[in-house]
Amino acid sequence: MTFRSNGRHSPTEFARVPAVSTSAAGSPSPSDIAKAFAEGREESLADAYRQWSALVFTLAFKALGNRTDAEDITQQVFVSAWRSRATFDPATGQFGAWLTGITRHRIADRMSARSRDHRNTEAAAALVNSEAAADQVDQDTVDRVLLADELAKIDDPRRTILWLAFYEDQAYPQIADQLALPLGTVKSHVRRGLLQLRDRLKEVKGDDAS
Amino acid sequence: MTTHLEDEQLAQWVLDDQTPDTAAATHLQLCARCRESYAELQEIARLSKRLPRLEQPPSELWGQINAELGLETGPVPGTDLREDGQQEPTALRPASPERTNPSPAGHPEVRRFRWRALAVAATVAAVLGAGAGVAGTLLATRDDTKAPVAETMIRLTPVAGQSGDGNADLIQENSGDRLKVEASGLGAGQGFYEVWMINEDGKRMVSLGVLNPQTGGTFTIPQDLTQQGYRIVDISLEPNDGNPEHSRASIIRGTLPG
Ligand SMILES: [Zn+2]
Repeated sequence: MTFRSNGRHSPTEFARVPAVSTSAAGSPSPSDIAKAFAEGREESLADAYRQWSALVFTLAFKALGNRTDAEDITQQVFVSAWRSRATFDPATGQFGAWLTGITRHRIADRMSARSRDHRNTEAAAALVNSEAAADQVDQDTVDRVLLADELAKIDDPRRTILWLAFYEDQAYPQIADQLALPLGTVKSHVRRGLLQLRDRLKEVKGDDAS
Repeated sequence: MTTHLEDEQLAQWVLDDQTPDTAAATHLQLCARCRESYAELQEIARLSKRLPRLEQPPSELWGQINAELGLETGPVPGTDLREDGQQEPTALRPASPERTNPSPAGHPEVRRFRWRALAVAATVAAVLGAGAGVAGTLLATRDDTKAPVAETMIRLTPVAGQSGDGNADLIQENSGDRLKVEASGLGAGQGFYEVWMINEDGKRMVSLGVLNPQTGGTFTIPQDLTQQGYRIVDISLEPNDGNPEHSRASIIRGTLPG
C-alpha cells in the first residue's frame, strides 16, 4: 500500500484521503491470483481472465491469424486451466508461464489439426508430439506479445514514454517535447523501462515457455 | 575484487546503440554475468522494436467459458476495466484517420481510493458541484462513409485554490471513444500533468495518460468507461516520484453529462 505523505496535497476534496495501491484494493497481485486459483476459489478465475485474457488471445491471434480460432483457443485455455488447476503449484511456478505454456500447446494442437485438414499427413505426424508441437509457435512472437502485455501494465508516465519510444519509434527529445518532460527524465524512464521489461519477461517466461 | 557493470549503464549503451568503453568492453570479455545481462538487454531492445498491439477477446467469451465450466457467470471481468481497457496510453496527437483505429486493449490501471462513508458523500457532492460546466451534445457526420460521430464538449474548471481551464471533447464512434483535452493556464509545476477519468462513486479512477499542457492531447478511452459512471474528467499535477497513484493535486476538472 502506498501513501503520499509529503504534504503535496492540494486543497481539493481529495485532501487527506489516502490512496490505496491498485494491487491492495483493486486487482489482486498475480501471485495472489495464482494461489486462489490453485485452491479452486471461483472468483480467481475472473481475476485470472482479467489479468491474462488479452495475452492469451493475442498470442493465439498472432500465431493463427484468425479471430475465431483465437477466441476458441482462449476459451479452451481458461477452461482447461481451471479444470487442471490442481496441477499448478503456486510455490514452484509462475502462473503467467503456466498459462502461456497451455496456450502454446493449444495453438500447436490447432496448427496440427489444420495440417490434418489439409491432408498433410506428414506434417500432422510431426506435430503429434505436443512438446515438439509447442516449439512450432514462433518464440519471437511469443516474446513480443509477452512484452506488449507487460508494457501495458506499467504505470504512467513510463508506459506512455515507452509506448512512444517502442511503438512510435520516437527519439528521446521528441518524447520530451511531446510530454513536456525533461530529456533526462525521459531517458531514465526508457532505460529503467527496458530493465523492467527484461525482469518481467524473465519472470513470466519462467521455465515453461522457453 | 571485481565491480560489475551497472545494469542502467548497460541499458543505456543498448538504447543508444553505442559500444561500451574500453574498460567496460574488457570487463564484458572476462565476466560472463555482465555479458549475459548485456545480451539480455540487447534482446529485449530488439524485440521491442516490433511490439504487437494487444488484442482483446470479445466480451461474450467470458460467459462461454463459465457456461462450459458450469459455473455461474459473475460480472464480466471487463466491468472492472482491466480487461476492456485500451492499451494505447495516450494519443498525444491530433486525431488523424490512421490514428483513430481502435487500439487494442491493455490494462489501464484502475485507481481506488479508500473512503470513509462521510468522505464519499462529501466528495460526490463536491465533484458534481465543481464539474458543473457547460455541456452540449451534438451529432456530426464526419463523412458519408462513416457512422455518425457523437461529440460532447465540456468545460474544465479549476478546483478550489487552483487556476487554469480547459475543454474536454468526448468523441464517440463505432471504433471507440476518444477524449480530446485542451488546457491553458495550468502553470509550470514540478512534474507532469495526467488525465484521469474518475467514477461518480468517487472511489475508482483510470489514468488516460500524460497531458502536454502546451499541445493538449487525444486519449483513447477504455471501452464502456463512461457508461460505467467514469464521467469526471480530471487533470492532475503529478510529481516525478514514480508513485502511480493520483497525487490528489487536481488542477482542473469537469463532468460529462450522463
Ligand atoms: Zn561483471
